[in-house]
Amino acid sequence: MLAFVAPSIDYHAFAPELIVVAILAILVLVDCFTSDYDKSSQSSVAGFGLLLALIPVVTLAMDGTVRGMFGSPESGYAYVVDTYSLILKALFLVSGYVVVLLSQTYIAEGDYWEGEYYQLLLASILGMMVMASARDLVSIFVALELLSIPAYMLAAWRKRDLKSDEAGIKYYLMGVFASAVMLYGMSLIYGITGSTLLTEVAANLRQFPAGQVPPIVVLAVVFVLVGFGFKVSAVPFHTWAPDTYEGAPTPVTAFLAVASKAAGFVALMTLVFVAFPGNTSTIEPLMFALSAATMTVGNLIALRQTNIVRLLAYSGVAQAGYMLAPLAVYGVSGTVGLQAIIAYLLIYAAMNLGAFAVVITAARKTRSGEISSFGGLIQYAPSLAVLMCLFLFSLAGIPPLGGWFAKFAVFRALVGAETGWGYALAVLVGINSVIALFYYARVAKTMVMDPAPDGDLSPVRVPFSLRAALVITAMVTVAVGVLPGLVGHFTDSVTIGAALGS
Amino acid sequence: MLAQVSDVVDACAGQAECVTSYSDFLRSWLTVGIFVALGFVMAGAMLGIAMVLRPSSNRRGRFQEQKFITYESGVDPVGWSWTQTQVRYYIFALLFVLFDVEAVFIFPWATRLEIYDLFGLIEMLIFIAILALGLVYAVRKKVLQWL
Repeated sequence: MLAFVAPSIDYHAFAPELIVVAILAILVLVDCFTSDYDKSSQSSVAGFGLLLALIPVVTLAMDGTVRGMFGSPESGYAYVVDTYSLILKALFLVSGYVVVLLSQTYIAEGDYWEGEYYQLLLASILGMMVMASARDLVSIFVALELLSIPAYMLAAWRKRDLKSDEAGIKYYLMGVFASAVMLYGMSLIYGITGSTLLTEVAANLRQFPAGQVPPIVVLAVVFVLVGFGFKVSAVPFHTWAPDTYEGAPTPVTAFLAVASKAAGFVALMTLVFVAFPGNTSTIEPLMFALSAATMTVGNLIALRQTNIVRLLAYSGVAQAGYMLAPLAVYGVSGTVGLQAIIAYLLIYAAMNLGAFAVVITAARKTRSGEISSFGGLIQYAPSLAVLMCLFLFSLAGIPPLGGWFAKFAVFRALVGAETGWGYALAVLVGINSVIALFYYARVAKTMVMDPAPDGDLSPVRVPFSLRAALVITAMVTVAVGVLPGLVGHFTDSVTIGAALGS
Repeated sequence: MLAQVSDVVDACAGQAECVTSYSDFLRSWLTVGIFVALGFVMAGAMLGIAMVLRPSSNRRGRFQEQKFITYESGVDPVGWSWTQTQVRYYIFALLFVLFDVEAVFIFPWATRLEIYDLFGLIEMLIFIAILALGLVYAVRKKVLQWL
């Protein structure tokens, strides 16, 4: 009989995930034993739970040792807690907390199932946290499903609303299609290398000398990466994004645009840097094409949008293009590219969540998502208008704000690579930033110059939770722009646990 | 186009690395191209052949009543398609899935109970406790009541 050896589990390393699971169980129980008419405890439990899970993330970061589980030092580990996964877990937890703040009044006042909403939100965040640590094809896939399936339901959360149904079904169909493509690629990789462990996959793929890489390897790598291309809404796989973003409840849109997209990038980075570090000749051209197409198409279509959520959707597509850019030179830039993407993800989360917070707050009065409805905002809600300008110009990358440092990091990685491809992409990023400024500035112009559409100048009441969300995101956006060392301090030390064991 | 590629190959004929890396790039991406093209051809062929072979429903004046029956080659449908179905069966199906997953996971554990020892026992208790939450939820949401 085969002896069974219980896997040794490092409970400190698992603590953030375990806390989220415990909070999830508490949420279900609280939901079961509270009245249907008062579910206000749900959002508090969810919010404080996410902050509680942040504590072990901080202690783990202070401890600083790289912890691996389910594997051996020789073969590498399937679950790794290192600086890379910790900083991303912190990103998911904090952006999840901001989404809870955004949801609190929105979900409570609308016609929604409130109890289950926060349970699904936490389940999705749990999937993202697992994704940040997963170093195995199977656990990456399980994490992807755990974060996607609740998100499909959340996208269709608005009851008796055809647009929300459309959002959910489009997201679901495109999501499972992407999963299928990706699984096909993963099965090919397992067939070629005989292992699902990313470090072993990399070691096995390295045995093919340059020039004699079997075409099947290229096929497998492309299929896996294309699967995640859907998740990060890279052109030409972006078609679901605008419709889903418009139809879903706005806090869910913010969640999808920030956390879900970040999770897709995490998986892409893990795969590219840990599993396929040697396949530069395959991945670099693919990423160059994806990145160039994504930012150009995203920006050009955004120019014509009249709905603010759709505008933010296409701007998010374009921003994904900037984030993909360092992957096009990853063979040369290596860790610098990785750090650039992570810095971009952190700053993008703050400014994009902030923009959505303003949209949600303003819509409490205007009940509209049209850009024209923002007219006269400076007169009846000056602080909101100023904050929106702040987030929009940060998204555009104007220097004193956070977005500037994000773009700078990407430029540094692209130009630092000193290859023709890198320079070409840097020029494209520059041109696109100028195009993007146009539509961001147009929204600012509407808020400042245009009169209120119906002449109603009564002030907007801002509930405490939304105020907190606005303050958090605005503080991060400004602080990072003024003191870029803040983010640099965290991201410059990030290394992915690839060296572990291999 | 082909001539150009061979020119490049000739140009760096002396340097082995140059030739291989360039042609390797083209060769491997050609595979992806062929694969994608094949996908389109296959889908197109299946739909196209079906379109040629199948009797058309009302084109060229040949109207075929059978094409409009619910089950074209099956039993004749009786009655009106808008009938009521008991939605509560759907809830039972969902609950069945919950316990089915539990059983699938418990059986292999139960056959090797001694080997997994205390670790397996605690693991399984946690698993059952989390699934039991689903049952508590179902009871509290009153889906187990037969109305």
